[in-house]
Amino acid sequence: MPQDRGVTQSGLAIRRMSASSEPPPSPNVRTGPEYAKLIDISRCIGCKGCEVACKEWNELGIEPTENFGSMQSHRDLGPDTWLLMRFNEIEVGGDLQWLIKKDACLHCEEPGCLYACPSPGAIVQYENGIVDFNHDSCIGCQLCVSGCPFDIPRFNPATRKVYKCNMCVDRVEAGLEPACVKTCPTNAISWGTKEDMVTLAEQKVERLQARGFDNATLYDPAGVGGTHMMYVVPHGDQLGEYDLPADPKASPGALAALGGLRKLGASALGLGILGTALHYLGFGPQEPGAAEVPSNGVGGGTAPMSAGGESRPTVESQATGESSPTVPSPPTGETPPTGDPTGSTEG
Amino acid sequence: MSAPNDLKRFAYAERVIHWVAGLSFLFLLMTGLAFSHPRLFWITSLVGGGSTARFLHPWMGTLFTGSMVVMFFTWAKEMSIQDGDRAWLKSIKHYAVHDKDNVPPAGKYNGGQKLFFWSMAILGVAYIVTGIPMWMPGGFLGVGPFYGGVVNSMRLVHYLSTVFGGLLLIVHVYLGTIAYPGTLGGMLHGTVTNAWAKLHHPLWHKDQSG
Ligand code: HEM
Ligand code: SF4
Ligand code: SF4
Repeated sequence: MPQDRGVTQSGLAIRRMSASSEPPPSPNVRTGPEYAKLIDISRCIGCKGCEVACKEWNELGIEPTENFGSMQSHRDLGPDTWLLMRFNEIEVGGDLQWLIKKDACLHCEEPGCLYACPSPGAIVQYENGIVDFNHDSCIGCQLCVSGCPFDIPRFNPATRKVYKCNMCVDRVEAGLEPACVKTCPTNAISWGTKEDMVTLAEQKVERLQARGFDNATLYDPAGVGGTHMMYVVPHGDQLGEYDLPADPKASPGALAALGGLRKLGASALGLGILGTALHYLGFGPQEPGAAEVPSNGVGGGTAPMSAGGESRPTVESQATGESSPTVPSPPTGETPPTGDPTGSTEG
Repeated sequence: MSAPNDLKRFAYAERVIHWVAGLSFLFLLMTGLAFSHPRLFWITSLVGGGSTARFLHPWMGTLFTGSMVVMFFTWAKEMSIQDGDRAWLKSIKHYAVHDKDNVPPAGKYNGGQKLFFWSMAILGVAYIVTGIPMWMPGGFLGVGPFYGGVVNSMRLVHYLSTVFGGLLLIVHVYLGTIAYPGTLGGMLHGTVTNAWAKLHHPLWHKDQSG
């Protein structure tokens, strides 16, 4: 466990930051080790000590429990319930089994929540792998909830912010393990560097397989670049029953498309404005001829700006200055904002 | 501001509804673009910050949708696209280069304006239908929740509609202001000059003075 691993201060250098085109501003040049938490489901006895420790350390409020015919404390995660032991009841070989899942943020290497977030810096990923919400910057849009392939963040309508497990980042920064790790009475939760945890997991999987859990496996899904909370799953063939997505993606189809398109869209609007400007320079304003309005004197009497200058020339002579009967292409040959080609203007 | 023989173009109610739609849309476009791209997020500071922008955006959207409904029923009949409009639309490239001789004369609205009206009506539906699941992803009136794939794909469609609507708006504002002096006045105080009408909407002009 952590104490003999020489866990040092990791610092909080930032690796990724939501909605940011610039490289993340690192408040700290140190890059400490990358951490991971390993949940050995086969050792979990379902005591929910970790749930309590989580509430205590993070001073989370009470969300009333409810008896709905399950050992589970709450039906779902909540803004004040960052960790929920899910008791999935299934039958294996005529026997009742609890496929317990410690449901909380997995601290993905490629965090879908962070990629989905529109507010700069509302979600950050530190160099140590922890994904954290920065509530000062959160605008309460809840798009992270939809971006998370594990359905983890929860919205608090009162504060208009979204909450989830922060891996006890304050403890980790101080060289301590997260509260749930500390409290677990059966050592079902291990803590250390990502590398060490993967090695440990492989040993655990081997031992499980030797004991007859042929499908035992490590859950560290590649679709999100691996996670900083991993599971050793005894029944690896039943991920669905554990409520673990078999192939989670950091940026599901629509979000990936959006990511690719948004530069294009912003550029298109910029080009649209540029197009109208170039059109204006090429063709100028189209003023009603002054001579035709005896009563009104000036053609564009109600115009917001008199773009024509002192003497109001007729439309044709003003547009080009060359007064040729056919209209020449503008000097730049720009596409007009309607998107229709102007190049061919045979009068 | 208007001379005695100016032509009445927009009634008071038409102008009010137009500007409610116009200004709310502008707000929506600006804040929406701010959410869409990190480099544009600064726009939210103009309306009080990210949280305020996120709070106001859907309510402005509701106002915009309401105004579009009213606008739709006010103008739908006048905006029906006729053969003349189709001919006008075919010659749009001549129109774009001020080659007036090759553009069929327009009535009160030309084909492009009518097309803009119908595009906005369709986009208006797209905005509200895709916007509501993003507004209330936890569900409303017993429908939902929409978290996950629904919200993500709505987000994509909402964004694409925004880019399209934004492009249309740029053209619309350009034509309504600096490109055709005298046009904005019509939407501000209701009247346009005879010369303006003759130049831009000859058939309407004939109709009004005939
Ligand atoms: C905020 C910037 C806007 C400005 C400066 C503006 C300006 C104008 C002007 C000057 C007219 C009169 C055109 C004429 O007399 O023929 C007009 C008409 C109209 N506007 Fe706007 N408008 C704006 C935004 C919008 C928006 C957002 C919509 C739709 C949601 C809209 C819908 C219309 C429609 C349907 C017409 C009548 C048909 C047409 O002229 O295209 N406007 N606008
Ligand atoms: S599990 Fe969800 S909330 Fe946690 S880092 Fe991954 S995407 Fe974000
Ligand atoms: S709710 Fe907050 S953290 Fe989540 S996507 Fe919106 S701004 Fe980002």
